[in-house]
Amino acid sequence: MYIHSSSFDLQGERKSMYKQSENSFFKCGEKTSPISVILVTSGSRGNKLLFRYPFQRVADCTSSLTTKQRSPYALNTTGDVLEDPDGDSREQTPLTDEQLVAGFSDIILATILATKSDMCGKKFELKIDNVRFVGHPTLLQHPHTIQVSKTDPSPKREMPTMILFSVVFALRANADPSVISCMHNLSRRIAIALQHEERRCQYLTREAKLMLAMQDEVTNMTETDGSPQSPFRQILPKCKLARDLKEAYDRFVKTPYKIMYLWIVSLFLQCRCNNRVCCVSSLCTTGVVRLHINNWLEVSFCLPHKIHRVGGNHVPPEALERSLKAIRPYHALLLLDSEKALLAQLPLDCSPALVRLIKTCSAVKNLQQLAQDADLNLLQIFQIAAHLVYWGKAIIVYPLCENNVYMLSPHANISLYSPLAEGFGQQFPSHDLPSMLAKFSLPLSLSEFRNPLDASVQEAQLIQMVVWMLQRRLLIQLHTYVCLLVPPSEEEPGLLRDEELPLVARVGGRSLSTPSALSFGSPTSSDDMTLTSPSMDNSSAELLPGGDSPLNRRMTETLLASLTEHERQVILNIPAAQSPEDLRMFARLLHYFRGHHHLEEIMYNENMRRSQLKTLFDKFRSVLVVTNHEDPVISLFQSPLG
Amino acid sequence: MGTDRIECIFFSEFHPTLGPKITYQVPEEYISRELFDTVQVYIITKPELQNKLITVTAMGKKLIGCPVCIEHKKYSRNALLFNLGLVCDARTKTCALEPIVKKLSGYLTTLELESGFISNEESKQKLLPIMSTLLEELNATGACTLPIDESNTINLKLIEQRRDPLIVQEYDVPVFTQCKDHFIKSQWDLTTQQILAYIDGFRHIQKISAEADVELNLVRIAVQNLLYYGVVTLVSIFQYSNVYCTTPTVQSLIDDRSIQEECLNYVTKKGQKRAFLRDVFQLYCGLTPGTTVRDLCSRYSQQLQRVDERRLIQYGLIKALIRRLQKYPVKVTRDERSRPPRLYTGCHSYDEICCKTGMSYKELDERLENDPNIIVCWK
Repeated sequence: MYIHSSSFDLQGERKSMYKQSENSFFKCGEKTSPISVILVTSGSRGNKLLFRYPFQRVADCTSSLTTKQRSPYALNTTGDVLEDPDGDSREQTPLTDEQLVAGFSDIILATILATKSDMCGKKFELKIDNVRFVGHPTLLQHPHTIQVSKTDPSPKREMPTMILFSVVFALRANADPSVISCMHNLSRRIAIALQHEERRCQYLTREAKLMLAMQDEVTNMTETDGSPQSPFRQILPKCKLARDLKEAYDRFVKTPYKIMYLWIVSLFLQCRCNNRVCCVSSLCTTGVVRLHINNWLEVSFCLPHKIHRVGGNHVPPEALERSLKAIRPYHALLLLDSEKALLAQLPLDCSPALVRLIKTCSAVKNLQQLAQDADLNLLQIFQIAAHLVYWGKAIIVYPLCENNVYMLSPHANISLYSPLAEGFGQQFPSHDLPSMLAKFSLPLSLSEFRNPLDASVQEAQLIQMVVWMLQRRLLIQLHTYVCLLVPPSEEEPGLLRDEELPLVARVGGRSLSTPSALSFGSPTSSDDMTLTSPSMDNSSAELLPGGDSPLNRRMTETLLASLTEHERQVILNIPAAQSPEDLRMFARLLHYFRGHHHLEEIMYNENMRRSQLKTLFDKFRSVLVVTNHEDPVISLFQSPLG
Repeated sequence: MGTDRIECIFFSEFHPTLGPKITYQVPEEYISRELFDTVQVYIITKPELQNKLITVTAMGKKLIGCPVCIEHKKYSRNALLFNLGLVCDARTKTCALEPIVKKLSGYLTTLELESGFISNEESKQKLLPIMSTLLEELNATGACTLPIDESNTINLKLIEQRRDPLIVQEYDVPVFTQCKDHFIKSQWDLTTQQILAYIDGFRHIQKISAEADVELNLVRIAVQNLLYYGVVTLVSIFQYSNVYCTTPTVQSLIDDRSIQEECLNYVTKKGQKRAFLRDVFQLYCGLTPGTTVRDLCSRYSQQLQRVDERRLIQYGLIKALIRRLQKYPVKVTRDERSRPPRLYTGCHSYDEICCKTGMSYKELDERLENDPNIIVCWK
């Protein structure tokens, strides 16, 4: 919390509330973890709170107020702002998370969280002072379809019916909007599972009955014994649902950087009929924990905020998805765990496609080759790869080869005492990480790195080291980008023209986009997306006889027509332009010279060799500007983990 | 500020016979019967929720209110329950409106306690024009000053909430992102006024503190304040021995016309004709790992005829077209008996070490180059 006044002592003992390095990890934890999970229902018996976690001992609740009022000068920490004329809630003394939600009694929570039925089926969001509640209230089936229990001794008594229920997560009010929507997503998925199980075997009604019975029992006990206890503590050992909810909460809060998995139910249901959808969605249960609703349905979920971090801030899921959609067939998938470890985490019923992919995957193989080797179509590979990346099990890199140039990542932790340094020392004894990293202070190609000064170090081990460093996001790869910039004439303002230059369309080059049906969870569409050698219109140019045929000349002219007169003149005046082949090649590649396509991409798309391109760049260097930097598309994956 | 509209202001109370209802709303009929039925439990609430800021989203709308309860024997049912709230579209960010709602509830409570403003039917009717004015002025200017009666005036202002700023280090260099002359000096606090003249995009915090004769921590806080309001941004110290490299954002110089204009205006030497884009772009692309600014100047002297290299670097850093490569010394081997390294751990850059110890770069370089135990990483 930022207090903008000059009486604030930065160096002092007071905890700096916005100190980045150590506290940011806790701050992020606060903002991304739920503070409570609550289950409420509404039915013929009215609104009820079935379960909440964490629960407070009732004794604590009442005594906490009195103990805090020891000194008349002590701050009032119950969170009331009656005396605050500005109403600026940011200047309150920060309450602990437990105090925030514990202030709400069971009854009031039941009233406000069990909504009316017209709020069902939609996102529910309620903010009260510093707490934000998010859930997805769900209507259950109409009561008349529920069977009356045969063992019910008094047939005249009506079964108490449940009309709706809601699994609500309480968060801090200042939680990030994407976190809020993720928690809502989780609430919805649990709701779908519970709704399904309720329809199938009245699971929820049974659990609810148990919970309410426990609550009644404890209330009776309290009245007779006089010793207050929390009913929820008693409920936990008896109700599976309560334990599931507790586990969901615990996993989020206690393990901020591990991945939490709960399995997608709705897709599990669909997948019984459609095997292909099953294979896509059932991929990623490589989890530490699995939540089995009613010991039957798995609910799977992943909070990407915990996995993908860039220098202390989480990566919003939208940015992640955008990057995943920009993966190309020439990229490669680099697994972050060993093959064995990854396979061990998969459930028995996972798809064979995933297993095949993991087994054939390699850092030197691009996705297209992977498709061929694993005998899957490219679209499937893309989807599986995207899933693995989303769940933090793999990253996208450019396939390892001699000419790759790597440099130290600006986010790399090069501290002598970091856990990475320790891990490296264990993996590669007699080498230390900082020394290796220092070698990459200047951009170093893999071939240069592999010329060992120390002959005893094996080349294979050097490659392993590079892979190790890539997996831990210590290195970034630099690519060469080219931009066409013609020396201005005296009349020219020196700026580029306004048009966006969709040269791709004009030149008639092939589409440079990835298979378009890449979206999460959607069923596969086209099967044939092989992109081997470019089978495009322009390749006809290669087949034509070389030389200065009229057809070639015309084509070159067309290609150059998109330039201004001045630009054309300058280009044609270059000595290299006198060679028709060189000019033709230049014209054909013109649309890549906007600084957005790196050398390797041009090589892949146009089926050209690196040396050809480099020679061309050299010949036309008077109108081209070359620079090296990381690929923005995959730089997202080169950010460090938390 | 002013980007999120308030769609409606409503005044709701608990009528002794009719129960919860909306007494006034501006504009009329905005909240439907249906909507109110759905959310009334959050508007006129149980005692436990009173005096809390409650925001509920329903039917595409967000309602923000603060329920008030005043207990007294004189009221029928011994209590007066009401809530003056705002309605916005569900997608609006409403954090800035919360203090306003709280304040309003406070005002009305005071008015009621002092003069029975609400319980008196006649004076209650004054609420309607008050609400209209509030709605209009808050949407138009984000502020509203409204006298209610002789002794009470409502003062409200929407304050934009910003993110917490970064910590400012002594080796950071603040640079104005907007023209310095736009600011009325007298509106800032004394410390800031004293250091304003020294913020030129080249002096770092330590230097500003020394030259302006202001204590270091005060300078840090003042600059942090400026950072908070987006008036300055931080770059690194400029030296001719610095090394930079391009980021993918450098391509925006080609793609974005407005950045081109801004850049060329910024980096051109005073009194010269505007520099050419090609030259400037070549200069940025000439910045590579291993190349110092000095090297750049000698290699690209022709391009630099119209370009001020210091402003070139400054602009590049502000817009993230380039980034600085800092040196980090790491002591990799040491005797068992010697102390563990304090500064040479890979966590502290040359900038930081030089600032803290008072050494110059050259001195630090000489010291470290001769030490076989220390390697240097650039990142």
